[in-house]
Amino acid sequence: MQTLSVSDYLALVNETLALIPSEAHLIEGEVSDYRVSQGKWVTFTLKDEEKDAVLPCFGTTFQLTLPLENGMRVQVKGYSRVYERFGKFSLNVREVEPVGEGALRKAYEMLKRKLEAEGLFDASRKRTLPRFPSRVGLITSREAAAYTDFLRIANNRFGGSVISLVPVHVQGQYAVEEILSAFAYFDALEVEVRPELIVLTRGGGSLEDLHAFNDERVARAVFGSAVPVVVGVGHERDESLADFAADVRASTPSNAAELVFPDRTQIVYELTTSTDLMESRLRQALDERSAVVSHAGHAMTVFFERLSHVVFDLATRLSRAYQECLLRMGESVVHAEQILRQVDPKRVLSRGYSLVKVGGVLIKDTSRLEIGTDVQVQLARGLFSAEVTEL
Amino acid sequence: MPPKKSEPSFAKTFEELEEITAWFERDDVDLEEGLKKFERGLELAKACKDLLKNVENKVEEIKKKFE
Repeated sequence: MQTLSVSDYLALVNETLALIPSEAHLIEGEVSDYRVSQGKWVTFTLKDEEKDAVLPCFGTTFQLTLPLENGMRVQVKGYSRVYERFGKFSLNVREVEPVGEGALRKAYEMLKRKLEAEGLFDASRKRTLPRFPSRVGLITSREAAAYTDFLRIANNRFGGSVISLVPVHVQGQYAVEEILSAFAYFDALEVEVRPELIVLTRGGGSLEDLHAFNDERVARAVFGSAVPVVVGVGHERDESLADFAADVRASTPSNAAELVFPDRTQIVYELTTSTDLMESRLRQALDERSAVVSHAGHAMTVFFERLSHVVFDLATRLSRAYQECLLRMGESVVHAEQILRQVDPKRVLSRGYSLVKVGGVLIKDTSRLEIGTDVQVQLARGLFSAEVTEL
Repeated sequence: MPPKKSEPSFAKTFEELEEITAWFERDDVDLEEGLKKFERGLELAKACKDLLKNVENKVEEIKKKFE
């Protein structure tokens, strides 16, 4: 027998309670008296539905991010202890998960509203994907059909890209942590080697299977990623909070590949269209040019034709003028000849006249003559000297 | 090991080709410049087609640190 103080005894109780491993048990019950005080402290009572049994629960809003509601069925994990100050037993809750489709649905809807109100799903912050991705980050389970579907479609459509696969569990207890680590890994890479976009994908499943994709931290990791994120979950009708937070939402893993990778047949078609356009435009330019050239050629021909006409005309006129000129000159010569012939003294002499000269000078009157002057007399034929005997 | 940067980039090649195509879509196509651009365009289109001959994408598995 030992005597202990209250605090010593409670310390002993708490040591004993600490022997119950918190990871070993999931405690399931219904939430009641749910309360948040000072925006920090969360208290609720977990109770059994059939038996009268209640477990006071305590936690912080930091640990318990899942919005709770009275009547919600949950599983909690934590360790129990007695608070010395109030002597009150409670479970210090570290994790809480909704249970059953109804509770899950409710929790999902509540979280969705919360994130929506925060702006995580805003269309205005959605980023566009690169047209031709050279590096793609892929977060999925390597064993799943989603992975093979994604790769098959990717390879059908496009080639030469590097796909960095971070294999993760897409459901189960490790899923959330692994997905968060994958995002953290890509975000920590240098910009030059970082993927241009990240694809987070998995096949379809129940709301319970999709819990990791509906986890608040995963939705925030998708929202906060440094590069655009494509989320593709399951079948067409499946939706997840990660989907809504994604920059691009794909309906299936195959659809994610279709949205990420351009189709090579389409590209080849575009390439051909491009080169065809260039060729036809070039041909058109060439045709326009040769039209100009041939037009110029034609103009030159016309010009030369015209020019030759002018020249020919000119030449004709010139030669005509020349001939006329010659003719006129010829006529003048004949005329001059006639005139000359008419004034030729020999012609006068032939008519019986004589020329009288003294010392070579022609005598036109008697003033230069004296009796006894010797004169020369020229006849039409012949010449003689005479002496002046009478004046 | 982080993935290495892939060269040459399909995106860059295709972009340049698109610029040239846009140039040809203008009203006035200068013949001399057009011929040069056409030649370059054919080169780029061929480069793109060659790159598309890569049948598959390369998958690099990143080893998880938390394993």
